[in-house]
Amino acid sequence: MTHASGAPGRGPAPAQEHHPVSGQPAAVPGQRAGADQADADRLLLAEGRAQLWRTAALFLSATAAAGAGLMLPAALGRTLDLLLADDGTGGAPAGRWLAVCAVLTCALVVLDAADTVLTGTLNSRTTARLRSRLVGRLLAVGPLRADRFSGGDLVTRCTGNAAHAGTGPSSVASVLAAVVTPVGALVALALLDLRLAAVFLAGTPLLVLLLRAFSRTSADCVTRYQETQARLAGRLVEALAGARTIAAAGIRERERARVLEPLAELSAHGERMWHVQGRATAQAAVLVPLLQIAVVAVGGLLLSEGELSVGGLVAAARYAVLAAGVGTLVGQLNALVRSRTAARRLAEVLAVSPMATGRRTVPYHPGNTGAGRLELRGVRASYGGETVLRGVDLVVPGGATVAVVGRSGAGKSLLAAVAGRLVEPEAGRVLLEGTDLAELDPAALRQAIGFAFERPVLFGTTVGDALAAGLPAGPEGWRRHQECVRAAAGAACADEFVRTLPHGYDTPRAQAPLSGGEVQRLGLARAFAQSRRVLILDDATSSLDTVTELKVTQALMGTRNAEGPNAGERVSLAARTRLVVAHRAATAARADLTAWLDGGRVRAVAPHRQLWEQPEYRALFGGGSGEDG
Amino acid sequence: MAETTGATGAAGTGAAEARSEPGEARAQARAAGRHPAPAQRGPARAGLRFLLRRPRVLVALAGWSVLEAAHTFALGFALARALDDGFLAGRPALGLAWLSAAACGLLVGAWGTARVYRQVAALTEPLRDELVRRVVGRGLYDAVAAVGVPGDAGQDASGTGAVSRLTHQVEIARDSFAGLVMVSRSFVFTLAGAVLGLFALAPLLLVVVVPPLAAGLAVFAGTLRALARRQRDFLVADEELARELGTAVRALRDVTACGAQAAVRGSVERRVTAERRAADALARWGVARALALGLGGRLPVVLLLVLAPWLLRHGVSAGALAGALTYLTQALLPALQSLVHGLGGAGARLAVVIGRLREGAPRECAATAPMTPPLPLPRETTASGQGGPGVPALELRGVTFAYGPAAAPVLSGLDLTVPADGRLAVVGPSGAGKSTLALLAAGLLRPSAGEIRLYGAPVVPEQRPDPRGMAGRRVLIPQESYVFTGTVRENLCCDTAPPDSALPDSALLGAFEAVGAGALLRRLGGLEAVVDPVALSAGERQQLAFARAYLSPAPLAVLDEAGSRLDPAAEELAESAFARRGGALVVIAHRISSALRADRVLVLDGPRTRCGTHAELLECSPLYRDLVAGWAPPSRV
Repeated sequence: MTHASGAPGRGPAPAQEHHPVSGQPAAVPGQRAGADQADADRLLLAEGRAQLWRTAALFLSATAAAGAGLMLPAALGRTLDLLLADDGTGGAPAGRWLAVCAVLTCALVVLDAADTVLTGTLNSRTTARLRSRLVGRLLAVGPLRADRFSGGDLVTRCTGNAAHAGTGPSSVASVLAAVVTPVGALVALALLDLRLAAVFLAGTPLLVLLLRAFSRTSADCVTRYQETQARLAGRLVEALAGARTIAAAGIRERERARVLEPLAELSAHGERMWHVQGRATAQAAVLVPLLQIAVVAVGGLLLSEGELSVGGLVAAARYAVLAAGVGTLVGQLNALVRSRTAARRLAEVLAVSPMATGRRTVPYHPGNTGAGRLELRGVRASYGGETVLRGVDLVVPGGATVAVVGRSGAGKSLLAAVAGRLVEPEAGRVLLEGTDLAELDPAALRQAIGFAFERPVLFGTTVGDALAAGLPAGPEGWRRHQECVRAAAGAACADEFVRTLPHGYDTPRAQAPLSGGEVQRLGLARAFAQSRRVLILDDATSSLDTVTELKVTQALMGTRNAEGPNAGERVSLAARTRLVVAHRAATAARADLTAWLDGGRVRAVAPHRQLWEQPEYRALFGGGSGEDG
Repeated sequence: MAETTGATGAAGTGAAEARSEPGEARAQARAAGRHPAPAQRGPARAGLRFLLRRPRVLVALAGWSVLEAAHTFALGFALARALDDGFLAGRPALGLAWLSAAACGLLVGAWGTARVYRQVAALTEPLRDELVRRVVGRGLYDAVAAVGVPGDAGQDASGTGAVSRLTHQVEIARDSFAGLVMVSRSFVFTLAGAVLGLFALAPLLLVVVVPPLAAGLAVFAGTLRALARRQRDFLVADEELARELGTAVRALRDVTACGAQAAVRGSVERRVTAERRAADALARWGVARALALGLGGRLPVVLLLVLAPWLLRHGVSAGALAGALTYLTQALLPALQSLVHGLGGAGARLAVVIGRLREGAPRECAATAPMTPPLPLPRETTASGQGGPGVPALELRGVTFAYGPAAAPVLSGLDLTVPADGRLAVVGPSGAGKSTLALLAAGLLRPSAGEIRLYGAPVVPEQRPDPRGMAGRRVLIPQESYVFTGTVRENLCCDTAPPDSALPDSALLGAFEAVGAGALLRRLGGLEAVVDPVALSAGERQQLAFARAYLSPAPLAVLDEAGSRLDPAAEELAESAFARRGGALVVIAHRISSALRADRVLVLDGPRTRCGTHAELLECSPLYRDLVAGWAPPSRV
């Protein structure tokens, strides 16, 4: 292993014990415990207000439709009575009532259509607005604050939950109309004859009892079905992970049969689910018609005594059904409850406050190499609710390489994240060339500081786009920065294997077969291409074999020119300030200075060689061995 | 989203075709190549075939549905009779009797409903079984075909995709198929019951009811295709949005670090807008649905009243009119409503999901297609596959491999010979093609150029068990060891050649001891103990894989960093077990110590690739010198 003998012009600084300035206790920004239902309701209310005329129109059309639906049976009954009484001689009143029926029917069709369009467009607009807000906030809060939600959970919040929450305004508008129908129908029954309403009300407890039977849809057969399904999926996942063994042994068909073994059981549970559901549905299906028959029977008796007309009976039969249609109301209420619950999950994300930004640019100090002096003053930061960095003071001189070492869990990665403002410090400041990172324009900040991670996540359409992700985007994609990207890839020892991909740099990212080491090198290349002043490497060479790591380190230290077709296009990485999280002694040894992180503070800053004399420091790297190959 | 409409027609219920089509062209197990999607058969025709293969279920379904139809019939007819013969005729007792008859019809109908569900189960459960079989088959097929992809990128993708298909998409297909069957069946039989009832009351009533109903259905049928397209667009837009969001969320840290928030937000917003547009288009097409419902369900009521004087003149009774109104408002309108609401949404969902599940379905190729000429095993090959002394175990002649026609080759013009008792170690930087070489030697990748021979016979990629084929001549332990939930015995025997020839317990126990995994076996609790892969450490899984491969009769063993998670001493123990076993050994080295144990070493380093003994390589390969030095204990800090 060769040592980089310090960056040009930077002598090793003497070891000095640091006495951190204690940061003022400040309210933890952006860490509200969550959102309560009031926030969720406010969110829905705001969305409803943003679509006010649509919401109002939907409310009006739904209410009008409910009214028309209530009037129609009465009108039908009245018309029928007049027609029957008329006995074919043709009376004007019958004609008028017939016209009323026709108008009501037409109104119902038109209102139905309006309801469909208004509900659909209102939902789609509200959902889209909620999604935009959510995504915008998510991208602004930074990774640490978003970390409390798992990735899949966030996707669910932006897709399914947003869609459910998006139905909030339309459910509110419809739920009122849904109340009108059963209540109005019951009133109409009472108006026809009080006894009809009484029969209906007497039958209702039966309805409630039977509905309860319906809800007892034996949840355990659903559970068993899902368990079996999970078992099958588990077998499949195992087999997929062992694809090479299966391919080599030529046992694909046998493994297929083995994976499918639980299928018969799944089928049996599935059948049972249908049986249970069939019974429940049948019970529910007799309920409303039985009520209706009871009402008709009473109506018939009234009819035979001349207290009710035929038209009245027909209307009563219909009103009995409408009054029993509490199901619609329950459905709308369920939708509203679901929407409010979903909105609460959105409000939780929106309650996280975004990271502060400013408008300043990074100053250039003439006489410098162009690299930036990075300074952390009394930085406090926590992870997972635990204060990890208590008061970190650290100066990374412009153009120097500083390694950060410490026990696992000492907060090395958090320090790196704070230093490049991936994470906002809870207290203290981080300065680049004397300017607080919080006051920098976001674009200026990102062009100044680049990150490379242990497990980079690449994004962008092609491999080239993934490498150019840190550069200003343009319609032509990565080719706008072609030279820079290729040179950076060369410096990260990535150019060679990228060219072995099916379409080289234009290979779609999702189709690029990449190993962990290759992804890591692409992550390095991305950071090399992006950063102008400071490079922060968080264990970014851990998956590289010794030879590749050496080459990358040489490029990083400026002792090796970039390889590849654009070798002339020299990437002068040495002109940048580098902060390197190190797990291996060799990495620390190559840096100009080592910052020893211990107990949430910087315990010492000194060249590795000097610190190595302390047994406690040596213990960090595993029993004094200089290399943990 | 409100319930939305659209489908590929009532018959377009697109169920999956049960059997995979045999005889289709064989897809090559290409490295990064995707096999082309097979021509899509009409899902409607496939669905029809699926139904027609189950005539007994269909008959039973129809039979039980008739009971439901009888209930519909009774509802209007009994009311008409109760009015005409009972309440209006001054015989309320008879009226009540007719109503009781309707109530009885109701109960019988409910019994039919419960039975109908069983028949629906008999249709949907087999469909689900077929889909599950297909998903599992395809998942394994894809994974096996993608083994050439280095790292775990390809496998990860296919793994999560397959699980989502298995748990999510198959369930959507199951639910929407059942919904389609229920809705269309219910409409048909309600319609039959109501039409029959109207006919029984007074045939003239049909003249009033049928034309508008037919017009409404025609409007619905006419717009169904357009609705289905909108519904599909919406589902696709929704999926794309979810995918884009997934990428953005996964990459959140990196997006922030790159300052690419604006670009990422822009691309997510584009998907959000596309999804909103699709939802709006779908909602606007809902007007057609309302129109169909108005025409077919509501208009007949008004028509009935308009024509009432004429009907009354032609002898239609008051009770019959009331009965007809009951049929229209209580039976036909709700049935039509669930048809126009249910058919579209469920149909389009089913069509989309079935399309997803069908695309790239596995071809049952290896079993039928004449993939390769019969293997000309060399005459001197003995039962164990051991070649004669002169025949090398592995021979590569000018082997070149690239991941695509445009890609730079990973291996280029490689010549290599491993004698029948040889022990070769392969070293080199990551990405130099070590695993590629292992896969080529095992016949899992096909070289772009050159020839590979195992015991004198050319290597051919294969997909099916053939004890006399590749599996009998070489065994590969890949980087990721395969351990599944099952007994130790099942795990051990899963790839020993013939499935029926059980190995004696002593051999199984001996294998564990030989590779140094005796302690693991005791800890697990013997051969019949059930292994939970998650509970094992990576090293323990590797030990199990070692024991399994040790039992293979194949004379050549290829270990691809197979002991990377074991400590050096345990790795040496396992490797030496294979050396003692006899035959040839190729070790893709994770540690340089493996190279020191081999009699020859291959250093893969692009154009500077060298093969020789340890001493020779120290002379001629600077990379090898570096590697050896890198692993040696440091002399200074």
